[in-house]
Amino acid sequence: MKQSSIKTRFTYGFLRTLKRLPKTRAKSSSFSPEEISKRCRIIKLATDASMASAVGPRRAWSRALIRRVRSQRRQRQRQWLVMRRTRRGERKKGGKEVGGGGQTDSLRKLVPGGETMELCTLLGETAHYIKCLTTQVQVMRNIVDLFSN
Amino acid sequence: MDKDYFLNSGIPSALHFDPSSLTNWHSLSSNQELNSSPEQSSDCFLFESAMSSMVSSPAVSNSAISNDGFGISELIGKLGNIYSSGESRHLLAATAAYIGGGSRSPNTSCYSTPLNSPPKLHLPIDHQVNDKMPNLGNSIPINPNLPAVSADPGFAERAAKFSCFGNGSFNGRTSQLGSNNIKLPYRSSPSMNSVKFHRVSSSPSLKANGFPMGAQQNQNSTQNQIEMRSTNVSETKFGKISVSNASDRTEYCGSNEGSSVSEQIPNGEIGLKTPSESNSRKRKAVSRGKSSVNATNTTVAGGEENPNAKRSKSAEVNGSVNGSVKTDEEVKGVSSNGEGDEDQKQAKANSKPPEPPKDYIHVRARRGQATDSHSLAERVRREKISERMKLLQDLVPCCNKVTGKALMLDEIINYVQSLQRQVEFLSMKLASVNTLDVKMDNLLSKDAFQPKTSLPHPLHPLDSSKASAFFGHQIPEIPQLQTNLSTVSVDEFCQGLPQFPTLCEDDLQSIVQMGFGHNPNRDTGFHSQKLSWLKSDIPHEN
Repeated sequence: MKQSSIKTRFTYGFLRTLKRLPKTRAKSSSFSPEEISKRCRIIKLATDASMASAVGPRRAWSRALIRRVRSQRRQRQRQWLVMRRTRRGERKKGGKEVGGGGQTDSLRKLVPGGETMELCTLLGETAHYIKCLTTQVQVMRNIVDLFSN
Repeated sequence: MDKDYFLNSGIPSALHFDPSSLTNWHSLSSNQELNSSPEQSSDCFLFESAMSSMVSSPAVSNSAISNDGFGISELIGKLGNIYSSGESRHLLAATAAYIGGGSRSPNTSCYSTPLNSPPKLHLPIDHQVNDKMPNLGNSIPINPNLPAVSADPGFAERAAKFSCFGNGSFNGRTSQLGSNNIKLPYRSSPSMNSVKFHRVSSSPSLKANGFPMGAQQNQNSTQNQIEMRSTNVSETKFGKISVSNASDRTEYCGSNEGSSVSEQIPNGEIGLKTPSESNSRKRKAVSRGKSSVNATNTTVAGGEENPNAKRSKSAEVNGSVNGSVKTDEEVKGVSSNGEGDEDQKQAKANSKPPEPPKDYIHVRARRGQATDSHSLAERVRREKISERMKLLQDLVPCCNKVTGKALMLDEIINYVQSLQRQVEFLSMKLASVNTLDVKMDNLLSKDAFQPKTSLPHPLHPLDSSKASAFFGHQIPEIPQLQTNLSTVSVDEFCQGLPQFPTLCEDDLQSIVQMGFGHNPNRDTGFHSQKLSWLKSDIPHEN
């Protein structure tokens, strides 16, 4: 995929998501830490989701990221106990790692979906992930720049 | 001295038997201090008459160097007729000398080849003649061989082929060296030829590349390295004919990754090129049709030991019956070579594990590596991983000087962590921006999907709506988006992205300070870390 197309798609999706954010209700008092942290979480989720959707299902990490976002969403919708069970289950699945040294473990944690990959695919996914992260950071920086001016 | 006569008679250009050459011959014969005898003088005249007849014959006069073999064979045939008359041995030798002298010119190494093919040519040598021509003798050790040359039907072909080899090898060589080098392949018995061909046939990939390689060599002599395997013990004396200057490998068998098919030119002690130029790597032809892996390197007789030689991997011989033939010959060649460490390495390599069973795919492993399937798969996997690591090295900015897996991985992990933290930070920044909605409205003013006022969704439905928008119909929805959105405004935005001025440090600091201002309860350390990474990212912005 070309970087520009990923960038474009990501930008579109991200802006749409941002638009859907709840307005700051009181312009003067919108800076309570909880609200900001909430918004931050939402925005982070939005950016991850929009990047993952921009990349599409072709990459393992984007699929894993989408799965993670969905599961996070479901966690909020379902009961907490059930979610804890699934979380434990996911963690157990994640425990079955394939190959690699100590550093690869930390890399697996960083890259979404990297816990069940082999080292070879992990490195490939890391490369693509880094590429997309850099575009994400660029776009977000530009948006911030635009909005803060 | 005698050389000059030969050279001056126009040999470099072609084998032209000009009338002037006849006079040269005449003077030559007179200068050769042969035992003057009437019969010799008569022989001279005989020779001259023969030469004149040859001159008149168009074939000879028009023979270009490219038609060497045929022209020479004709010549020699006629000379042989003269010889069979039984009187002009020395003249024959003189002609041989002539031809041999002609071989001194760069591209005429083939000229000496007819003279040097021992097995078929059995002329008694006139000792006097040999003594008188010491200079030429080096190039023509086997004078008596002339008459039978013409009898050999395939001789011209072989001569041409080996001239190709010669041409490739001997660009700009001294004639002596060239002739010596040409001498080498022929010193051995014809069994060598047959063995060579046998070997060529045994490795099908080689077959295709055998002589076309030689032709290629002509063109790429400076770059390619052709090595022919030394087959006989006698060839220990051969100087190293390292053909090319460059140390690049030539990969003739393109089918396999990293495989190279090459033939070894028998080594001699004549360094044709300076040691710095010559590549002492010797490789053996490895790949068979189905082999999955690689040529190996055998170093044979490292007279000139380069670091390359030490780095080169000598072959571990694994193969089938044919491979065993090669093994034996290699062993011979190796044991006969008494030069340098390479022999020891070679011996070790040859004494390595026996051949695997014959119904398996035969693969030449590198030195010191096993050949079972597991290790092969491991090796492939490792190569893949190293490829990916190189890719990553290009992506991650600070990894250029770092070598080694562990350090690389550390750098990569740090970089990914920093990128993720940047995303977090920027999202927080976005969260703290007040005028988000207004500007969003301005941007997406013509968006039919979204109403201009943002919907007062609670968190969960927002997530769900977002989720449905993005997850349920990821790609199909986006084209709809694009058709309905005001592409102009957003495109401008997107196209403006690369046009955004690169953030200078002042801007960054202002942004960060804005973050400070909005979020006084944030960790300062966090932001300083951000700042360092943001600064480091400046060069990477589009």
